[in-house]
Amino acid sequence: RAMELPPGHFPAARAAAAALGYLRYLRGGPGRGLRLRELRRARRQDIDDVGHKYYLELELEDVLDKDSTVSCTAEVLYHLGSKSSAPDVQVTVQGELRSTEQADQEFYNWIRSLEKELVAENIPDSHGNVPPELEPIHLLAWVASGYVIWQNSTENTKLHLAQVKHVKQVKRSDEDLQFDFVVLLHEMVSQEVLPWQVTLLWHPQHGARVSQSRAAGAGS
Amino acid sequence: DEVLHIVPETFQQVQHLQLLCSTFMLDLWKPLLPEDIRAGEDLHIRVPAPLVQEVKDSLDQHMISYRVLIPDVQKLVDQSMPRERSSHRQVSGGYVYTEYHPMEEIYQWMTQIQKNSELVTQHTLGKTFEGRTMYYLQISQPSNKTKKIIWMDCGIHAREWISPAFCQWFVKEILQNYNTDPKISRFLQNLDLYVLPVLNIDGYIYSWEKDRLWRKSRSPYENGTCYGTDLNRNFNSSWGSVGVSFNCSSDVFCGSGPESEPETKAVAQFIKSKKSDILCYLTIHSYGQLILTPYGSTTKPPSNNEELMQVAKEAAAALTGKYGTSYRVGSTASILYSNSGSSRDWAHTIGIPLSYTFELRDTGTHGFVLPPDQIQPTCEETM
Repeated sequence: RAMELPPGHFPAARAAAAALGYLRYLRGGPGRGLRLRELRRARRQDIDDVGHKYYLELELEDVLDKDSTVSCTAEVLYHLGSKSSAPDVQVTVQGELRSTEQADQEFYNWIRSLEKELVAENIPDSHGNVPPELEPIHLLAWVASGYVIWQNSTENTKLHLAQVKHVKQVKRSDEDLQFDFVVLLHEMVSQEVLPWQVTLLWHPQHGARVSQSRAAGAGS
Repeated sequence: DEVLHIVPETFQQVQHLQLLCSTFMLDLWKPLLPEDIRAGEDLHIRVPAPLVQEVKDSLDQHMISYRVLIPDVQKLVDQSMPRERSSHRQVSGGYVYTEYHPMEEIYQWMTQIQKNSELVTQHTLGKTFEGRTMYYLQISQPSNKTKKIIWMDCGIHAREWISPAFCQWFVKEILQNYNTDPKISRFLQNLDLYVLPVLNIDGYIYSWEKDRLWRKSRSPYENGTCYGTDLNRNFNSSWGSVGVSFNCSSDVFCGSGPESEPETKAVAQFIKSKKSDILCYLTIHSYGQLILTPYGSTTKPPSNNEELMQVAKEAAAALTGKYGTSYRVGSTASILYSNSGSSRDWAHTIGIPLSYTFELRDTGTHGFVLPPDQIQPTCEETM
């Protein structure tokens, strides 16, 4: 009952982008950024009164560990008719992702030791460069934007993070780190660049969560 | 080496710290002079690695609390040094091809290239909305036979910086190697190459000066409250039918009519005038790693689809052979989305048999802001 889809064609590619967003949110961190190397296989099932479900086989790469790849299966369910609900995504990562415990702790300690709250803009800059010390912040922006991409994906959109416009650290009284991001998302079908404000909380042992997100005001 | 952060609490502590600094000749980062150390104020000192333990012991002995601000100064220094790019730098005749260049420099480059080479001549195509001259380069080996033409344009969309970078690279490669590379010299015996390094000059400049992610041209609409037409929706191929917006604020605004924009008209006019000699139309974009064939406005395949696909597949295979970068091949309508008014579709409908859109690196990880260290591999594999 599930139709095989050509992985190179856009319906499967769009579902893969949504799955990648979810994966980055779930498994990303200052020491880990996942990128899609290849969409190996895709199938689609139309479920009456429910929606369209995509079954995907993905090959992922950790950008900080480029020589190894990780396979992953994902199920993306777009709900029928609902423009305002996020697709349901389930993922199973085969095998182990490289541990980031040490890098996470170092990053955490570094941020906590800063006297002034960290502020940065345009990551990467216009030429595509990211200063090395901001790479963990860049990867946390992938986590934050991953959430927004997952939540806002439909069968008619393909979202990618284009650039981090602004990031501001907000000191908290609890143990979490808080970063307020303005991220620019590129939507492939409309070709629009959409600014989003996202607040990300992160802790080396507790992981990441988005506490709030909203589409930001008109353009850059 | 470590940098320690200390807030001395008493005058005695201040004195001890001043003594430490002078005895060990420590490097004060804040304040700059030992006499400016004050109780209750931040003190940052860099302690050389061999002295770290001794200094910390001394602080402990005197009940002076401290925090390690920087655990490894060398690591931070290394990270902030610009990476040695000698292996990636490609400089030819003083021009750095592994960097992105603003329009001023590209204009200068065209003038220089023409001066330095007997094969290249610079020609005017027309003017942009904001009045800038559009130039293309003709690479032609002198001969008494009329040759067929391959046309390539770059930079129709402002934010796709890797595209003009590729056009410049392409010209450089041809001129550097036509004497020594038999493939290139045979090519040039039978074909002329026409290269338009930046089609959407106004937009490109805008992406350098105002908005890095700008896509369209800069012509005003709605009384100057809204700017820009998507030049790749403005050509006369099923114009306005699908995958466009009639709203100026959209990034796929197709203009007020087919060829409404001076940039589009300039290109279309020229190509029409030479169309019986043009074998191949190439238009370079980013990102996506795709070789796209007609059409965008319908899934119905063009009449020579088999040939188009075969050539595209061979190109993709050759590309992958260089660095393993995978490109996908197919029509825009099946691979990407529906669109109308694209230059590629238009070129094919007026009779140019081989018409392709290239979407260069990458697939979304960097997207439009592709780092300069990828310029060389991208250009080499595409070449």
